[in-house]
Amino acid sequence: MSEDHHDEEQFDSAESGAAATFPKQCSALRKNEHVMIRGRPCKIVEMSTSKTGKHGHAKVHMVAIDIFTTKKLEDICPSTHNMDVPVVKRREYILMSIEDGFCSLMDPESCELKDDLKMPEGDLGNTIREALEKDEGSVLVQVVAACGEEAILGYKISTKE
Amino acid sequence: MVASQKFSDAEIDSFGEALNDTKKPLKARFRALFILRNIGCDRSVDWIGKCLNDESALLKHELAYCLGQMQNKHAIPTLVSVLEDEKQEPMVRHEAGEALGAIADPSVKDVLRKYAQDPCPEVSETCQIALGRVEWVEKSGKDTNSPYDSVDPTPSASTSDVEELAATLIDASLPLFDRYRAMFSLRNIKTDKSIKALAQGLYCEDSALFRHEVAYVLGQLQSPVATQELKDRLLLSTENCMVRHECAEALGAIANEECTEILKQYVNDEERVVRESCEVALDMAEYENSDDLQYAHV
Repeated sequence: MSEDHHDEEQFDSAESGAAATFPKQCSALRKNEHVMIRGRPCKIVEMSTSKTGKHGHAKVHMVAIDIFTTKKLEDICPSTHNMDVPVVKRREYILMSIEDGFCSLMDPESCELKDDLKMPEGDLGNTIREALEKDEGSVLVQVVAACGEEAILGYKISTKE
Repeated sequence: MVASQKFSDAEIDSFGEALNDTKKPLKARFRALFILRNIGCDRSVDWIGKCLNDESALLKHELAYCLGQMQNKHAIPTLVSVLEDEKQEPMVRHEAGEALGAIADPSVKDVLRKYAQDPCPEVSETCQIALGRVEWVEKSGKDTNSPYDSVDPTPSASTSDVEELAATLIDASLPLFDRYRAMFSLRNIKTDKSIKALAQGLYCEDSALFRHEVAYVLGQLQSPVATQELKDRLLLSTENCMVRHECAEALGAIANEECTEILKQYVNDEERVVRESCEVALDMAEYENSDDLQYAHV
C-alpha cells in the first residue's frame, strides 16, 4: 500500500513539472521493471549481460515493450551507466459509459468523475465494450500514466457489491 | 548474468590459436585472450600459458593478469616460473606475482616471501601485497569483493570517510597494502570527490606500482573527472612505462572524444608498451562506443 502511495506522489510531482523519470544504474534494473528507451516508457521483457574485458566492465542488452504502443524496443547500455526510469502510476476506475469513443470513469474511492480518456482501439477496446454491454458486474478499467501520457491498458469485472 | 556458454575443445583451441597467432593484430589477440579468460577452464589456462614467450610485454602481462583473474589453481606452476624468470620484463613478473595473490592458494606463500625481497621494486612490492592478500583470505575465510568483475589485490578499507581515505592513500609512510585498501574504498564510493582524491595517487612518487594501480582503478571508474591526471602521467616520457600503459588504457575505458584524441597522439610513442597500450585502448574505446554487446567475441 505504501508503495502505491509513493508512486502517486511521484506522479503528482511529475505532473507539476518535476521529473517524470528518475535515474537508476543499468545493472540494478530487472526484468519486468520500467525503463526509458528512445524517449519512450517501456517495460523490460528480456535482459542479458555481456562478459567483461580488462577493467571488468559489462554491457547490458535489454528488450522492452513500450507500455502504451506495445512496440518492441532494444537498447545496449554499459552496466555502470544510469538509465532513466519512468514514474508509472496505475489506477483503477469504474467504467460508467462510453460516449463518442470517450470513457466516462469514476474513481471508486473518491467518486470523482474523469472523462478525458479514449476507449482503446482494437481487441482490448472491443472486449471492454462487450463487457460493459453484458452488464455482469462493474467494469473496472486499469489506467496507466507515465511521462505525461495516460491510457486504459486493461480491465476486469468486479461482481462485488 | 547470462548462463555461461559451453564451448567445445575445438572451439577453445581456435581461440587459443587466435591468441597465439603473431600475425594477427594485437587488439584481436587481446579479444581472444578475454574469451579464454571468461571460459576459465584448464584448457584455456594452457593456451594462455603457451603464449608467455611472446615478444610483446604488454600481451604477456595481460596473460599473467588473466591467469590470476581466472583463479584457477592449474595456472600456479606457470605463474611461478614467470615470477622466477628474470628475463621477463618487470611488468610481466609483477603481474605473475599479483596473479598468485589473486588465486590465493597458501602453497605460494614461500615463493611470494622470497620475491618480496626482489631487487626490482615493482616485483618486490607486488609480492608483499600478494602475500598480504593470501594471508588475509586465509584468516578471514573470505575473498576480496569488487563491484567490478575483477579480483582486487587487497580488500577495501573499513572506513568510508573520503577525507580519511584520501589521506591514507597518499601517505608514503604507510604500508602499500593499507594504501591499496583506501584506494578500493575510494573507488567503491564513486563520487566526484572520491574520484578526485583517488587521482591524486597518480602523483605519489614513492612507488610506480602504486601509481599504476591507481590508473587501473580510474579505468574501472570510467570517469572523465580524472582525465587530466591520467593525461599528465601518460604525457610524462620519464614516467615508468607500466604507469603510462595503465593511464592509456584507463583513457580508453573513459572512451570519450577527448580521451581518444589523446590516445591517437601516443599510438606512435617511442616506448613499445605505450604504443601497444594506445592501440588496445582505442579498440576498447571503439567497443565502449559501439552497439556491440560483447568485447570478447570471435
